[in-house]
Amino acid sequence: MPPLRGQRAPEPTTGPAATEAALLARAQAGDVDAFEQLSSAYADRLFMLLLRLLGDRGEAQDVAQEVMLRAWQGITRFQGRSSYFTWLYRIAVNEASRALEKRGRRPAGVPIGAQELQLPASSADDPSRQAENSELRLALGRALAQLPPELRTAIVLRDVEGLATQEAAEIAGVSQAAFKSRLHQARLRVRSAIGDDALVTAGG
Amino acid sequence: MGMPGRTDDHQWSQQHLSHYVEGDLRRRARRRLERHARDCADCGRGIRAMRALVYTIQGLDGLAGEHAPATIFDLVHRAGAGESSSPQNA
Repeated sequence: MPPLRGQRAPEPTTGPAATEAALLARAQAGDVDAFEQLSSAYADRLFMLLLRLLGDRGEAQDVAQEVMLRAWQGITRFQGRSSYFTWLYRIAVNEASRALEKRGRRPAGVPIGAQELQLPASSADDPSRQAENSELRLALGRALAQLPPELRTAIVLRDVEGLATQEAAEIAGVSQAAFKSRLHQARLRVRSAIGDDALVTAGG
Repeated sequence: MGMPGRTDDHQWSQQHLSHYVEGDLRRRARRRLERHARDCADCGRGIRAMRALVYTIQGLDGLAGEHAPATIFDLVHRAGAGESSSPQNA
């Protein structure tokens, strides 16, 4: 029997999944604190995703609040066909796209290509390559910022976030075939913008 | 219909470098690209460039350690305080 509003759900058995299920049940019954506890586990990661998609810290902060509000308002419609993380991420991608469309512009900043980013250790540890890598990061950031939102989303979810294609496609709200098409287009555009010489040099 | 020419192979290979690196090509297509790339310096370098691109993007971790703002649940709590804002009524 589902918990009534204001009542606590039965104590979960053990493990994160059981805890998440219990929190979800309480949240769906209207428990705001349970919703916060449930969603807090993904808040940092979600915020980083928004930073990467929007390229603007202030905007990412505003959109993050909107994402949580939408998730709270829609929590009773979550039926567990995907993981809660996937569902929350999909709301984030939709809200980021909405924000970009509303403002009618490209992402303002470029967090994923900014100077402070670190390349893999094998490259970064070689002092002779640091200047080249710094230039590459800037070029990469500029190229990613120029991508249309749907292509940027694909490359961020798959290559930066490292999600599996199936999950990334689900979050993007498209078929796996469509997602891969976007991913490949995005990579081709970035490769074209940066140039093979710079990439091959960086790759060693 | 004849075999595709070198120009066809080159253009096709250039368009499918990401598919190749991702492992999305079927065996026959993979062989077509590899056969062409053996004799084509541009495509051989393109494969290395695409691998480097994916590797570099995967290595970007400058946002690691970022934290969500403390205000992230403010709208939820504000809505939660209202009578008509429970999730069932939203």
